[in-house]
Amino acid sequence: MTPPNAVRAMSAAETAGIRVAVAGNPNSGKSTLINSLAGTRLQVGNWPGVTVEKKEAVLDHRGTRVALIDLPGTYSLSPYSEEEIIARDFLVHDRPDVIVDVVDATNLERNLYLTVQMLELGIPVIVALNIYDEAEKKGYKIDVRAMETALGVKVVPTVATRKTGMDDLLEAVTGTMAKGSRNLPRALRYGEDIEAAVRKLTVDVARRHPALAEKYPERWLALKLMEGDRHVLAEASITDVDSLTKDAVAHLKEAHGEDLESLMADARYSLAAGLTREVLKRPAVKITELTEKIDRIVLNRFLGIPVFLAAMWFVFKLTFDVSAPFADWLDGAVNGPLTRWIESLTALLHAPDWLVSLMTKGVIAGVGSVLVFVPVIFAMMFFITFLEGSGYMARAAFVMDRAMHSMGLHGKSFIPMLLGFGCNVPAIYATRTLENPRDKALTALLIPLMSCGARLPVYVLFVGAFFASRSGTVLWSLYVMGIVLAILMGILFKRTLFRGESPMFIMELPPYRMPSGRSLAIHTWEKGKHFLIKAGTYILSVSVLVWFLLNLPWGVENKKDSYLGKVGAAIAPVFRPLGFGNWEASSSLIAGVIAKEIVVGTMGEIYVRETGKKPEGPAPTFGEDLRELGISFAKAGKEAFSNVFSTAGIASLKAEEKEGQETLRSVVAKTFTPLSAYAFMTFVLLYMPCVVAAAAFKHEFGTWKWFGVAFVYQTILAWTAAFVIFQGGTLLGIGG
Amino acid sequence: MNLAMLKPGEKGRIAGIGAIGPLRRRLMDMGVLVGEEITVEKIAPLGDPIEITVKNYNLSLRKKEAEGILLEATK
Repeated sequence: MTPPNAVRAMSAAETAGIRVAVAGNPNSGKSTLINSLAGTRLQVGNWPGVTVEKKEAVLDHRGTRVALIDLPGTYSLSPYSEEEIIARDFLVHDRPDVIVDVVDATNLERNLYLTVQMLELGIPVIVALNIYDEAEKKGYKIDVRAMETALGVKVVPTVATRKTGMDDLLEAVTGTMAKGSRNLPRALRYGEDIEAAVRKLTVDVARRHPALAEKYPERWLALKLMEGDRHVLAEASITDVDSLTKDAVAHLKEAHGEDLESLMADARYSLAAGLTREVLKRPAVKITELTEKIDRIVLNRFLGIPVFLAAMWFVFKLTFDVSAPFADWLDGAVNGPLTRWIESLTALLHAPDWLVSLMTKGVIAGVGSVLVFVPVIFAMMFFITFLEGSGYMARAAFVMDRAMHSMGLHGKSFIPMLLGFGCNVPAIYATRTLENPRDKALTALLIPLMSCGARLPVYVLFVGAFFASRSGTVLWSLYVMGIVLAILMGILFKRTLFRGESPMFIMELPPYRMPSGRSLAIHTWEKGKHFLIKAGTYILSVSVLVWFLLNLPWGVENKKDSYLGKVGAAIAPVFRPLGFGNWEASSSLIAGVIAKEIVVGTMGEIYVRETGKKPEGPAPTFGEDLRELGISFAKAGKEAFSNVFSTAGIASLKAEEKEGQETLRSVVAKTFTPLSAYAFMTFVLLYMPCVVAAAAFKHEFGTWKWFGVAFVYQTILAWTAAFVIFQGGTLLGIGG
Repeated sequence: MNLAMLKPGEKGRIAGIGAIGPLRRRLMDMGVLVGEEITVEKIAPLGDPIEITVKNYNLSLRKKEAEGILLEATK
């Protein structure tokens, strides 16, 4: 029953029996509900042209095909946010057969405000009264029958985390299509003066714009015209809105003032409030709830920040220290057994040397560089989803917003930036927690200035060669430089690229909840899978390209004669004012776009002519390889576990020098000066993000635009900073 | 008198919303409406934003946004 790929799922969705849009407030458990309904049939993609996630699934309920489309979580259907416009455009133009409106039973009034707007559309609605167990625990008594009568729609109590009510919900969905049952909800009435305006407008629109009456649900269109909804006005190219609505709304404006948009919001909330009073009985005595108790500590004036920092330390440590042993294992598996197997295979086929090298050092190494990121992306997605699902993400944003806002960012920007110190790639993916496109783009642009783990080997090499006595200070100065530049660039971007009012903060602090294991697993798996497929392709092609550069013309003895060496020599003059204008340094920087740590490896190949020495003795057999892989995987698991509990430090951020680097270090000590070494490290810190980060930019934003911006500003910044350091230092006569 | 002037634990009734455009609509969509009772629960450790309860749920907003929410002159 599982569709093998997205293409089939899409076409199936189109031909399916019933098309169901799942809508609801953020934090209403909508995501969990759709996961419970769809399970492994869920297909995750993006809404066209935007970064908002789109989930779909096709399932079979007692012989009826049901196609589910998950709309973005919204509080309203106003025309002001990306999510709201997506949701309403889908409802208005794609006309699903049924809307399943997921309502948080513990927060009835505000959720019903959206329900009331759904009912304006003239599409059958079914209310999933979710988180019903928690409402009962709070002592809430909800009269479901009364709610059905008042709304004129079917109401199904559900507990999505425990899969309760899922069958009833699907039964209600398929029921709407059966035997022309009481299909359409009756429109809720907003009071006689508003209704009179709606009636008059409906007639006027039909007379003056007959084409529009076809295109939009009539009641909905009349309401939007009254509100002066700019999205609808622009889309339908209505220019005569004032003369069109003048007569119809004159009495409203006289009685209530000019602001009809507010009047409508009021009218809808009055309905939602009235409904809530009718169907909900709250206990007389309010019990102090768990959320309140936790927040007394977590958001406390004095404890808030220490708790937050401790939480962040855990997230960082868990993300990187748990994933690192598995990344090492994958790295070992690809470079060891997999490479050996391919070598034997190509030998069997009598493949020429260059093909063997292309396969192992180009393709397989490229596959390896993609695979090593998978564990960290799994880990990041798991913890981010946990933070969001549990409700702590909103608290973290609350605690940090003041600090982040001063550089034009949002409180939620902190976590992605922090993850950037481990690795920029998961950090860029973690910007998905930011709803506003501006906040998201700005955060992602600053992440590459956080010095990631891959830059560390470069620092270690140079600090070891020049600054051994002050290694700590020099290392820290680089990290601090990245942070300071991020703050300055944030302020600069805020005033230039992102000029205009900063987005609002208005954010719900939802009750703490335990996220369901299923949701965590699905999100984690989807992200890892997409990374492999989507980002993998780019990374692999760049890896192959660099192989060509390094090894062609085939058989070059001296790396200087390879294409890489030639390109390096050609651009070397650009780096002369920075103190490292030689082909060796510039070639290493070019190779470093795959991953910044490769700068060190390439220097090794160039300066020392290190050829990866093969271990002596007979190669292990296929069976031995497999057994060894199993054993080392178990070891990785054990190491990940002990990493979490053993030390307070971050294991994956330890600056350790690899064995056998003494020769390279001594060569570097002769070719660079302390000043040019520092300028070089600065350049490595700041210059363009690696290709994996580039792929993450493209994947997360759906466009190359933001990577382009990052590429340009970082190149300029890196060159300028290194220039200032080298030239300034030379002038002052430091370390020259 | 506006919402940003309240201390944690203090309540007020909304008399008017000074914000315009998207911010006004967003506040109203979140249930911040004239006549509604609103309580300031907490102020963030760094002094901004603030946490309030309105319509029986918790919402946070920056002080600058809270300044546009006018309150009736009662405690």
